Amino acid sequence: MELFNSILTVAFLTQVFRLMTPYYLGASAANFSERGGVINIAIEGFMILSAFSFAMFNILTHNIPLAIFLALIINVVFALLYSVFTVKLKINQIVTGVGFNILIAGLTKFLMMIIFHSSSNTERFEGIPDNELIGKIPLVGAILSDYIVLFALILIFLSNFILFKTTFGLRLRSVGENPEAAESLGIKVRRYKVYGILISGFLAALGGIWLASEQKSFSDGMIAGRGYIALAAMIIGKWKPVNIFFASLIFAFFEALQISIQISGVPIPSQLIQMLPYLITILVLIGLIGKTKPPAADGVPY
Amino acid sequence: MFSRTSIQTKANIISISLSLAATFIITALLIILIGKNPIEVFGNMFSEVFLSGYGIGQTLFKTTPLIICGCGLAFCFHASIFNIGAEGQLNAGAFAMSLIALKLGAFPWYISIIICIVVAFGVSALFGLIPAIIKIKKDVSEVITTIMMNFIIMALINYFLVDFFAVKSTMHTEKIPEDMMLMKFSSITSFFQGSSLNISFIIALALAVISYIVIYKTKFGYEIRAVGFNPSASKYIGLSPDKIIIITFIIGAGITSLTGLNFIMGYKGFYEYGFSNNVGFTAIAVALLARNNPIGIIFSALLFGVLDSGGLAVNEIVPKEIVLVVQGVIILTILSINTIVDKKFNIAK
Amino acid sequence: MYAVEFENITKSFGLLTVNDKVTFGVKENSVHCLLGENGAGKSTLMKILFGSYKQDSGTIKIRGKEVKFKSPLDAIDEKIGMLYQHFMLIDEFTIWENVVLGNEMNAGMKLDYKKIKYRLNEIIEIYNLGLDINKKICDISISQEQKVELLKLLYRNSDILIFDEPTAVLSPVEVNEFFKIIEKFKADGKTIIFITHKLNEVKELADRVSILRKGQLVYETDKADIDVQKLGKEIIGNVEVAESPAKISPNEENKKSFIELKDVTLIKDKVKVLDDITIDIRRYEIHGICGVEGNGQQELVDVILQFEKNISGTVMMKDERVSIVPDDRYKRGMIKEFTVGENLILKKPSEGLISKRTVDTASQYIMKKYDVRAPSAETPIGSLSGGNQQKAIIAREIEMQQNTMIFYHPTRGVDINATAFIHSEIVSLRNAGKAILLVSSDLDELLKLSDRLSVMHKGRLIKTFDETELSSGNRNNLLEQIGKLMIGIH
Repeated sequence: MELFNSILTVAFLTQVFRLMTPYYLGASAANFSERGGVINIAIEGFMILSAFSFAMFNILTHNIPLAIFLALIINVVFALLYSVFTVKLKINQIVTGVGFNILIAGLTKFLMMIIFHSSSNTERFEGIPDNELIGKIPLVGAILSDYIVLFALILIFLSNFILFKTTFGLRLRSVGENPEAAESLGIKVRRYKVYGILISGFLAALGGIWLASEQKSFSDGMIAGRGYIALAAMIIGKWKPVNIFFASLIFAFFEALQISIQISGVPIPSQLIQMLPYLITILVLIGLIGKTKPPAADGVPY
Repeated sequence: MFSRTSIQTKANIISISLSLAATFIITALLIILIGKNPIEVFGNMFSEVFLSGYGIGQTLFKTTPLIICGCGLAFCFHASIFNIGAEGQLNAGAFAMSLIALKLGAFPWYISIIICIVVAFGVSALFGLIPAIIKIKKDVSEVITTIMMNFIIMALINYFLVDFFAVKSTMHTEKIPEDMMLMKFSSITSFFQGSSLNISFIIALALAVISYIVIYKTKFGYEIRAVGFNPSASKYIGLSPDKIIIITFIIGAGITSLTGLNFIMGYKGFYEYGFSNNVGFTAIAVALLARNNPIGIIFSALLFGVLDSGGLAVNEIVPKEIVLVVQGVIILTILSINTIVDKKFNIAK
Repeated sequence: MYAVEFENITKSFGLLTVNDKVTFGVKENSVHCLLGENGAGKSTLMKILFGSYKQDSGTIKIRGKEVKFKSPLDAIDEKIGMLYQHFMLIDEFTIWENVVLGNEMNAGMKLDYKKIKYRLNEIIEIYNLGLDINKKICDISISQEQKVELLKLLYRNSDILIFDEPTAVLSPVEVNEFFKIIEKFKADGKTIIFITHKLNEVKELADRVSILRKGQLVYETDKADIDVQKLGKEIIGNVEVAESPAKISPNEENKKSFIELKDVTLIKDKVKVLDDITIDIRRYEIHGICGVEGNGQQELVDVILQFEKNISGTVMMKDERVSIVPDDRYKRGMIKEFTVGENLILKKPSEGLISKRTVDTASQYIMKKYDVRAPSAETPIGSLSGGNQQKAIIAREIEMQQNTMIFYHPTRGVDINATAFIHSEIVSLRNAGKAILLVSSDLDELLKLSDRLSVMHKGRLIKTFDETELSSGNRNNLLEQIGKLMIGIH
């Protein structure tokens, strides 16, 4: 009962919206890549990379905007490298994604040892400050005052607009659905695939940066599969920005719930709640909650 | 004029050598970058890994699970099943192996071991069956289901360990009786003194040879590869792609469980949370490097085994985590160089 | 004035020269037919014109001016449009999205839907295309899809139009409709390059004809001098074609049914794809099935192969297994990475370990017996020529020695010699007492080989012609009758 009461609070809802942010950014990242026909299971790695580089530059320079900027740049560079593998060399996207995840996990661990002499976590640092003005708005202020959360919410409409109302979106989607047809109309297929992947790298980076900023440190394993849950949110959201948002919200709800349960001490095994997002995803995929269909040429090198 | 196979072999040799050379150079540069001497690092690694019986033993010990898991994945990959779930599948099997082993005190050791293997294989296979059925019945890619299953399995194991089976305040099960443990090499010859190398290594080699024969020399192997190349043609040729995918998935996932033999039955005597140390993912690279050829997998597993045990050897000079970077670099150089070399040789994928 | 001039166009792929110094001009505001066998180099030449390929040497002039296209985009800029044989449409997109893609009209950052809608509906009205621009491609018919392709060309104001076998997917009535649109194009001053196999269409439409054979231009003529017989000869060249053996018909009582379908209905996605089909396939008989593609032929074959489980009605089969030569050999006929021998081994029951020697022997056996030409026994079947691939597949099926065989588009994309070989094999099999189902969209092939011929339309078998109906009477009347049946008029 106590647990139930704790859920029905503004604080809990605020928590849900904040936790939604990395999922939604990761899922949108994956979506822009897949709309262009490139599966990106390296979202997890991208988020780890950006969280780490943000933490590293933040600690080294004490300049938050610079740290954000550099973290974004590094991620976009890796995204570019990912596009060399998957678009230029047409290497299997799943395998490339696994390779990137292994490389990035290793690289961050190695650099942590070199720079911070710890295999588990960095020292603490200042997170990104909230916008005080927005923070004063009652109720929603606590959510919207966080720049990245705010961006994530705007992104719902922004990505919907880009994908479905602009020339860029039409072309990106055409490349993911039927690259041959797109090329026959003069669309530069590979270029658009690369654009999709770069946007993917950028958005995933924001997700990672938010997590590091929120935790005010980087620790090994802190992304904890969120990149994969983001993929799940994208699939459950049927590759549509608004639906993806709701899917992310559901996953965020379970994460917030798990935290509340741990605090309240209600004897529900936390592992089983941790498991829920993955289980829900599988249930959705097997059609218990509705049919999903990826872009027709998703995962097919061109 | 070369025949198809000899061109392929030549291309393979070239791309593997180039990949290794590239990795070597990148690693050396990385070491120089952090202000250390690459020759010293490589030298240390070499002498630790190859110049002592203990080093060789430890390397082969670390190679064993990679061979086993790599073979399991080779089956899947030949059928174009992208099983990213080996990590979860092998943990499920190994966990089951440790639990059943504790219940088998009354049987002679050889029967116990066979039962352990069968149970572990069955449990892992079951977790291969689930994504297989979802793939067949619902046309959902196994990539996403196996990734999700990894998390589900690990959460379940965590739950069962913490709430039921773990020795108090640890994350491992109770130790199985000593007489059920597999024979260690060090008990045969003092050369391997102190290393954990055990009979599982021989089992892994045998598995690789059997896998090779099944995949390349039997009708079933031809069927697996045919389905992998072109499922709809296979159907019209008279095969049943669905059936073959299910069977292959089960075999592939089942085989991964045998990694438990090395750690549980051959080394620690219990299941420990996180024992697999991402073998399920590293094995993807192992299988790829060998182009899914089980005999090649022995050697690519050895390469990763060397890295794994070599990391500890150089830890005093550079952090052992450098090995993780090298593994990542190897995977990506192999992927890219393979593709480029194949293009040069006009080998169509 | 020429709209397009090809001057000494040469293009090779590896050792194979596909276009060999091709030189000819296409007059402005004319219909120019380009003829030739599969592999004669027509499509390659058109792809060069459209900027998809680059010629090794030679020049192309458009409206008198030399051009060098780097991509189709350059060709589109020169107002050249291509109607592909395989449609280039995005199933999940609406008609308007498909049409504007690549040449979008924008209002600021947004796509200007209002303007697009106005412009497209204008064109649809002028050419009487009857399309709803908000429908998705996956919800419209094949002939409508072709109209969407036309709409794409018109939207881009293309005035040199390349049509690559546009009538292959159309029923006779739809073909007439299509010809009317072409006439309207010509009346509007457009130039049309028309690739086809159907010589009667040439007679009807062409202002000028060019024929390619083995990459070379071998014959040209103007409208006044078009002689269909002559065209046919020039397309093939001087080749001796093997005659099919004569059919030998045994007594009626020997013609036992090997397959009998009774009242078979199959529903897929709420559509009756097979509707109350009753058919029997007898030994010593070739049972032809004709119809416009997508009228249930594939499903009929799949039912016989037992791929479809949820059917109503009864299926009786003498044997469990049936041999099939599928319609699309790349997708369904073979494992192209395997050798001929490996493809054969796949079909045979397991016999323990398979050595390389077993496989190579099997390859050599097929290559020798069926004259399949391959560099070596180790060559993957995918690297053989189309005709040799098809021969190898047919050889494999014959070697299985099943009583019942299905041939589905057995000669599609195969040269004249391989076609003759395949036809004579089919007749020999029939004479040896096999029961054969022949599904084809080639009426000549069907009339030549069939002992009985059934017409399919919208999942129904609407008429079966028996032997006497096929052999007696006027061929043209028969053709007309079949043509009408194919679009459901009876």
